[in-house]
Amino acid sequence: MNEKKMKDIFMDGPIPAGFIADSIQKHSTKTNIGAHSIFLGQVRADELLDRKVAAIDYTTYKEMALEKMHEIRESIFAKYELTCMHVHHSLGTINAGEVCLFVFTSSKHRKTAMDACEEVVELIKVELPVWGKEIFEDDSYTWKTNK
Amino acid sequence: MPFGQIAEITGADAFQLEAADTDQVQQALYKRFPALEKRAYAIAVNKVIVKDNTMLSSGSVVALLPPFSGG
Repeated sequence: MNEKKMKDIFMDGPIPAGFIADSIQKHSTKTNIGAHSIFLGQVRADELLDRKVAAIDYTTYKEMALEKMHEIRESIFAKYELTCMHVHHSLGTINAGEVCLFVFTSSKHRKTAMDACEEVVELIKVELPVWGKEIFEDDSYTWKTNK
Repeated sequence: MPFGQIAEITGADAFQLEAADTDQVQQALYKRFPALEKRAYAIAVNKVIVKDNTMLSSGSVVALLPPFSGG
């Protein structure tokens, strides 16, 4: 495994809207792109037994997660004709309403970009060793489960 | 190395064990942390998930991974 080729997808805290806008802007020089597809995961204020989720605290097994993400990236590029792909996942406490996952795929045509984006999001949910602890407004908590 | 809700049972820090394979790791952990036996988790050896009992060598890193909930 080439460590240098592995990108660090994790950032502490929520993903700011400005970061997403800048990421879009950076692609204006790549004029072979005809379509971008973006997925944004936002922390939802779920209600469980009359308690409302105030935030999710994300932790990971970083070394394994980055290797896994590298594998996902390779498999997606082998399957789809993408120009580029970017993934950012938050760690630490992310409040309800804040963005915790940003997946961005670009291609010549829309179908490729959209299909690849969807597949990456699904693979991240199932394969990345990341855990979300849902913290309620009264400071009690439960461990999130992906559906 | 324990993670997520498993780390709440064992304490968050990694610790050393003498074990020939992953079954022995599990047995040693269940003695120390009986609550662990009822929990759902996967085992990774050196960052790769293993389904069956797996031989370990000196320096192998065994991780206990509760169900993933990223994104």
